[in-house]
Amino acid sequence: MTKTVASLRQSGLRTDTRTLLALAVGLVVTLWMAGEIEMNLFMAFVLWVLVAVRTVFHENRAVLVGTLVALAVWAVVLPFFQDSGGGFLEDATQALALTVMALGLNIIVGFAGLLDLGYVAFYALGALTAGWFMSGFFVGAGGGEGFSLLVGEPASTLPGIHFNFLLVILIAVVITTIAGMLIGLPTLRLRGDYIAIVTLAFGEIVGRLVINGDEIVIAGEKITNGRQGITPIDKVDLPFLEPFTGLELRPWYWVALALVAVVLFVNYRLRDSRLGRAWIALREDEVAAASMGVPLVKTKLLAYGTGAAFGGVAGVFLGSYLNTVNADQFQFSFSIFVLAMVILGGLGSIEGVILGAVVLSFINFNLIPDVFNDYPSKVGLDFDLTELSFGIFGFLLVIMMVLRPEGLIPERRRQLELTEGVGAGDTALGGGESIQEVRA
Amino acid sequence: MEASTEAARLPVRTNTWDRVRGYIGEYGLIALLLVMPVVYGIQDLSDDGSLARLGNNVVDGLSNGAIWALVALGYTLVYGIIELINFAHGEVFMIGSLVTAGFIGTLGLTTATGTPGLVLGLLVTLLLAMIASGALNVMIERVGYRPLRSAPKLAPLITAVGFSFILQNVGILWIGGSPEGIPDLINAQKELFSIGGVSISQGDVLAVAATIPLVLLLTTFISQSRLGRAMRATAQDPEAARLMGINVDTTISLTFLLGGIMAGAAGLIYALYQTTIWYFQGFQAGLIAFTAAVMGGIGNLKGAVLGGFIIGIIQQISDNRIGGEWTPAIVFSYLVLIMVFRPSGLLGEETREAG
Amino acid sequence: MNTEPTQPDESAQRAEPAASPPPSDGALLSAQNITKVFGGLVAVEDVTFEVPERGIVSIIGPNGAGKTTFFNMLTGLYKPTYGRIRFAGRNVTGRRPDLIMKDGMARTFQNIRLFGTMTALENVMVGQNARMRAGLFGSIFRVPRVKREEKTVEEKARETLAYAGIAESQFDQMSVNLSYGDQRRLEIARALASEPKLLLLDEPTAGMNPQESAALTDFMRKVRDERGLTILLIEHDMQVIMEVSEYITVLDHGQKIAEGTPEEVRTNERVVEAYLGKQGEKEAAEGAARRESGRGDQV
Repeated sequence: MTKTVASLRQSGLRTDTRTLLALAVGLVVTLWMAGEIEMNLFMAFVLWVLVAVRTVFHENRAVLVGTLVALAVWAVVLPFFQDSGGGFLEDATQALALTVMALGLNIIVGFAGLLDLGYVAFYALGALTAGWFMSGFFVGAGGGEGFSLLVGEPASTLPGIHFNFLLVILIAVVITTIAGMLIGLPTLRLRGDYIAIVTLAFGEIVGRLVINGDEIVIAGEKITNGRQGITPIDKVDLPFLEPFTGLELRPWYWVALALVAVVLFVNYRLRDSRLGRAWIALREDEVAAASMGVPLVKTKLLAYGTGAAFGGVAGVFLGSYLNTVNADQFQFSFSIFVLAMVILGGLGSIEGVILGAVVLSFINFNLIPDVFNDYPSKVGLDFDLTELSFGIFGFLLVIMMVLRPEGLIPERRRQLELTEGVGAGDTALGGGESIQEVRA
Repeated sequence: MEASTEAARLPVRTNTWDRVRGYIGEYGLIALLLVMPVVYGIQDLSDDGSLARLGNNVVDGLSNGAIWALVALGYTLVYGIIELINFAHGEVFMIGSLVTAGFIGTLGLTTATGTPGLVLGLLVTLLLAMIASGALNVMIERVGYRPLRSAPKLAPLITAVGFSFILQNVGILWIGGSPEGIPDLINAQKELFSIGGVSISQGDVLAVAATIPLVLLLTTFISQSRLGRAMRATAQDPEAARLMGINVDTTISLTFLLGGIMAGAAGLIYALYQTTIWYFQGFQAGLIAFTAAVMGGIGNLKGAVLGGFIIGIIQQISDNRIGGEWTPAIVFSYLVLIMVFRPSGLLGEETREAG
Repeated sequence: MNTEPTQPDESAQRAEPAASPPPSDGALLSAQNITKVFGGLVAVEDVTFEVPERGIVSIIGPNGAGKTTFFNMLTGLYKPTYGRIRFAGRNVTGRRPDLIMKDGMARTFQNIRLFGTMTALENVMVGQNARMRAGLFGSIFRVPRVKREEKTVEEKARETLAYAGIAESQFDQMSVNLSYGDQRRLEIARALASEPKLLLLDEPTAGMNPQESAALTDFMRKVRDERGLTILLIEHDMQVIMEVSEYITVLDHGQKIAEGTPEEVRTNERVVEAYLGKQGEKEAAEGAARRESGRGDQV
């Protein structure tokens, strides 16, 4: 037995006691968690197996690719093992939508290093687009008869504007990309933390516009419904399929998964491209980047625009999924929530951000409300933990950051390896100063 | 050769947009800030025949602004020394208010208490609020920021957010989720005197009279004392400061202490002036104060105070004339404009890389 | 070794030595009356200066003389308060740095400014950013043209890294993890990758021992000859300067106080006074002597 382990170890596998122990503990935690969040136990086990295999064979490329493919298949197949109207799919779909947003913010903050604290603005604009073009909001459209495009019954017969879901996504992408660039424009000459406050300001302004939009009338129509929000929103209606309903959650899940897949694809392609490198160079050292031929203005605006577009896409989906678009959804705390996902996951790391988004989403929407609140009564205490949900979330954030500040799956793991090594101590990397007068 | 040398001596023609921006940065901003007061002042003159309404707006704005200024000082101090936005600072202010309310109750101060007892009681409460908030801020630094000194720059931001949530929850547990009234000990709304129709209430006097000495004390301390010099040195160059024998860790803790003290004082003033406390007030105040600090030029003390007052006045005018729902949008729009034309804030200094 | 003491030229006493060549149209880079004022501080004052094609020209001067500020103006990071800069036949005064780079001027920095979390290879690929054409959508859909471009750029980067003397094992290392010498070499490789016409090196031998410095000077000549580059150098190491420069400009307190061939500058009293001092003069003489005894290239 020890001979086998020894030979395994020699072949570059991670089979030391610590890892094995961690995996064992991981199995227990996974199964317990799965029970709590209503995930099918078998699927949870399969997930653990994939992670374990990946951990042990951590240098084997074939295994790496294989587990990723398996993970994708697992994600697609998961709904079949879950109750179609159940809580798990509900939370999972929401988590996927938030993952899209986190990936978008990752481009702005993670790749390009522009601290955006107002990401909620793009969510709001996306959702608003759904509210405008997928509901009965614009009652006067089409002379009161409704104006529809590529939708089936019953939406095509209702008043209001009813466009096809995919078309609305396209419109939202256009709107949010332009908005992203407009918001980015004033930040071009600002130092890092100033960018934070300006983007925050825009986030608040957009939020306020949504709340007070019932006072603003353009071409005879108010632009939002104020505090009441716009509801109901059309369900997603894809060609050749029945419109979705609120009871069958599987189709929603798959659409969200598809969105994640598309966004992931774009992310990976961009990261390993000229633009991606330009973004990271920008993040590392703006002055050096400019001196190496990176056009600062264009590169920054592209970051804002692309990141914003993802937010818009998720916004449209969530608008339809949650069946409502109202101002309560668009608070500053949402921007922080998405930012936390990115930083917690590992700034700039695509895999990390996905993990961070899923983890935080489940903690916020599932773990704390459903799970933690049950505990006191299970232990026999007469104590309402709902009052502590805020604090618990905050506490978890603090713990996770202090224990693992570089993020769950840090970008460039190799960076961690040579902390004491050759050259690392005596490098003369300047980097931090900025020449204030540098013109973009 | 001579001709070309002459031509080459002419200043490089800066492009028009830069020149326009330069002018706007210099004078336009002042004009921009004066737009609302001037417009409404004219409206008042034509409507009422006097500037009393505008004057009241300004007075109320200055009182609120004083509170924001104190909180903004905390943000700017901390940012100046470790380049970190202390997101939990607003909550530190909120705790100051809660401590105030709690201690007032404990001391049994009511509107019936005689003036000497009231003054003494409030002074003690002030001390307590300042100590509580100061200590809290130091603790947050110790637990949440110091371990992350070598972490990616944005990591402490999330710990700050985490603390913000924890403290808000503390607030909820302490006084519940809705705003709580506290006894109007100083009779805040009672008019003390009036100038030309502009009413100055006791609350206004308290706010300004309490803030100014505190700000002066703080600025004097920082510019004159040895510890203050240590703070400034560390803000400029932590490594060099360390080599000069300055204990950087202690200096940073001291900075947080001072910022917390200011926030605690602001908490007391807020409680007495508004006679209401709320667990969410820190979040809102934090946003405003942070905006004020940035507007004034983050790292710059005078700028923070200036920013606080300016925002206070803008808020009052907007609340009074346009409507409270629009106020945040207006305040933030001002911020964006200032940032565009004056990227380092109103009083911010531009640093240049040494040639 | 002729040590005939040269009489200090009368003209060397003046601020503008008579030995400055007339600005010719053949110059690759010509800066005229460049002045930079920061608030109250005059960092660079009325400097006129030329770089001919395929030459190696040096700028020297005591610390704080304004050399890096001058470089920053050439590369577009600062806008001169007065003056005009012409490069490769066009007026580049106040032009954006990335456009100037595109025009063919590349540089390294005094305090190494690499992209820390990128590998050596990626750093050099960024250096070619201005020569690439891939856009947002091309990159997302990875059209054939973009695929080919990526491949070409990567190959070129490997080539340039090897040319600059970096071992292949280091190509995929994080640039923060490279040795100091390799980091300097990487910075040069990054600048070279864009195939510039003019290469600006800001104190490239800082922190290097004599062997490394000599290797670098050989490299500079190699690059100049093989790639038809022009090199503009800021340096403190007198041996390097005297050995490799064809023409030297001396700055002090933001002003040009002398210029000429190494020989002329070495013996210029104002320069000696401002900067070199007795030890420096000795080093300069040794450097010049080595050149004359045939170690150097064409004079």
